[in-house]
Amino acid sequence: MGAAVDHVIPIGMSRGSVEGNDKSQGQRFSSKSKLTALVVDNGGVCCAIQTALLRSYGVGTEAVETGGAAVELISSGATFSLIIIEMLLPFMNGPETAKQIRAIGAQSKVLGITAFFDERDQQEFLAARADDFIEKPLSLEIVIPIIRELNN
Amino acid sequence: MDVVVQLQRQLADHTASLFHEGFLNDQFNQLQQLQDESNPDFVVEVVSLFFEDSERLLNELAKALEQQAVDYKKVDAHVHQLKGSSSSIGAQRVQGVCIPFRNFCEEQNIEGCLKCLQQVKHEYSLVKNKLETLFKLEQQLIAAGGSFPTL
Repeated sequence: MGAAVDHVIPIGMSRGSVEGNDKSQGQRFSSKSKLTALVVDNGGVCCAIQTALLRSYGVGTEAVETGGAAVELISSGATFSLIIIEMLLPFMNGPETAKQIRAIGAQSKVLGITAFFDERDQQEFLAARADDFIEKPLSLEIVIPIIRELNN
Repeated sequence: MDVVVQLQRQLADHTASLFHEGFLNDQFNQLQQLQDESNPDFVVEVVSLFFEDSERLLNELAKALEQQAVDYKKVDAHVHQLKGSSSSIGAQRVQGVCIPFRNFCEEQNIEGCLKCLQQVKHEYSLVKNKLETLFKLEQQLIAAGGSFPTL
């Protein structure tokens, strides 16, 4: 998945491989090709949960805490099927991060996420060429259709 | 009565009341589903992280609201994080108080913010207490040789 980067993986998640606990066998469907995801969030709790949820569906997931780290990771050659970006990030906010990620050529599905849904924030994200914008929490009901879509 | 059966019943009742009284919602169930042999302590780990994080945020909020010139942008950012994390673990009541809190913040209403801070602290300590009891019951059950369903 590209260069080795010193990124933050929350507690309990760093058990060796990025695949984590793969439940995809037990689910009604599983990833046909290997899907990958990047979570960009400086909140440890949200990071840990989003990462674990995606990994449980066989999505190879990494996490970083800033937009800058995300841009660096992608610039170094890492590619992701899905990138989930929190609205309020330190230094460079979610939409600015999305903008820069698109500017360096990332073709991933970009999902803006936030604690409080706000139309202005939605517009900002969509203008930055994010594909969608949702309110937390990231749940099964949201993840499953996305994975189906990415698999097709 | 068999100790294991007794503990299982206590655990089931306690868990049910947490949902019934609105302390937790389905998101918490989803967390439990992420726990398995390869990730056996996931729920306790993530909830502990939530406790640490919330305590930090509540302290920061208290500090920020004490200032002569309150930085409402900072307050908003903390409330944002608290709502995000509480919604992600399914701590429904804590999440709920964050909504009026954020509104008062937008209005720069200091009294409203202080009231919400007290309320969110209260809801946080209630859910913390109940989750700690939940984990204690689980530990007792395992120690007694029983197990509890994670699905």
